Amino acid sequence: MNSDREEIERLIGQVALGDRAAFETLYDRVSAKLFGVCLRVLDTRAAAEDAMQDSFVKIWNNSDRYQANGLSPMTWLITIARNTAIDRLRATRKGHQDIDTPGLELAAPGPNPEQSAVAASEAKRLTGCLDDLEADRGAAVRGAYLDGDSYADLAQRFNVPLNTMRTWLRRGLMSLRECMSA
Amino acid sequence: MSDTPITPPEDDNLLAAEVALGLLEGEDRVAARARLLQDRDFARTVADWQERFVALTDDIAPVAPSTKTRKALMSRLFPTRHVPLMQRLWLWQGISVAALATVAFLALPMLREAPTQVPGEVYATRMAAEDSALEMLAVMDMSRGDIALRRVSGNAPEGRVLELWAILPDRAPISLGVLPEGDVNRVALPAELAPEAAQITLAITDEPPGGAPEGAPTGGIMALGAVAEL
Repeated sequence: MNSDREEIERLIGQVALGDRAAFETLYDRVSAKLFGVCLRVLDTRAAAEDAMQDSFVKIWNNSDRYQANGLSPMTWLITIARNTAIDRLRATRKGHQDIDTPGLELAAPGPNPEQSAVAASEAKRLTGCLDDLEADRGAAVRGAYLDGDSYADLAQRFNVPLNTMRTWLRRGLMSLRECMSA
Repeated sequence: MSDTPITPPEDDNLLAAEVALGLLEGEDRVAARARLLQDRDFARTVADWQERFVALTDDIAPVAPSTKTRKALMSRLFPTRHVPLMQRLWLWQGISVAALATVAFLALPMLREAPTQVPGEVYATRMAAEDSALEMLAVMDMSRGDIALRRVSGNAPEGRVLELWAILPDRAPISLGVLPEGDVNRVALPAELAPEAAQITLAITDEPPGGAPEGAPTGGIMALGAVAEL
């Protein structure tokens, strides 16, 4: 896995220098995963293909900012695809607002950014910890991440006032973090 | 003490989770976004949550996209990739075979570019005017930001110089400078004209030595041609 990570990191570095061949290699390496993510969010193949294309345009245009965001390479790529797909999904709803994507909008880069403190092993515990949450809270977190639900959407779905929804989900997020870092 | 607005670290951390999930709307979202751009620690905390949440995609199976999608993406990012410059030159309508050889010669530096370099758009035109013997070929290379010119025939009238102009709709002609003597020249294309390159008509007027004194053409049009993309 580690050499995979290094390989993808190296490819992103070359893409940042405008290396088209590296971009094509990167596409061949990760497009199936990113397309899977877009399909999960968007359901229809045509919309998912468009979202994936848009994601790769962002990757090409912003690869020089990847180093500054401290994310692992696959997290960066998948998060761009997820946010692009969610933006597309939300564009069909009213009051649409784009999601902030890492490395596209992030704090001023430093010369030597530390990696995210979250170890892969901790992230792996997410699903287990989500299952430990009250079922509704776990579903709400999944709904927000994979279906692009906002607080307003969730409040409607669970039929509670918006502020109640926020307090309730925040408590879930708090237990989630405790569980994951335990 | 109780009315002192404080933000406990815990709240920050949850706000970061909300940003990563995209839960916030309206003012809350605007404030969090501003924070994300200014506060490195906060940005780091958001990244931490992104690193955690990405595990939700672990069991999403990869699905190979169609090769059509790959092609569409590559031609969207690299529009000229599948049409080499020589081919574009051959496709250029309204140019004689002899002129083609000249344009190919002007375009030579572009053809020699390393294959990894993205060739920009290329525009070309043949410039002429009815009552003038002057004829010029021009190739505008957007990746270099310059115009290569080749004189085919004709000269500046005695005691006058040739000045090159870019003409755009609803604007006064923009001087691109006096052409030095010689059959082949390269002049810079001002960067601010690049977005409108496709609409440029190039014109050459005869002017007193040193060029048009007021920055506006005073002489007659010796040659004129609207550019076309190759």
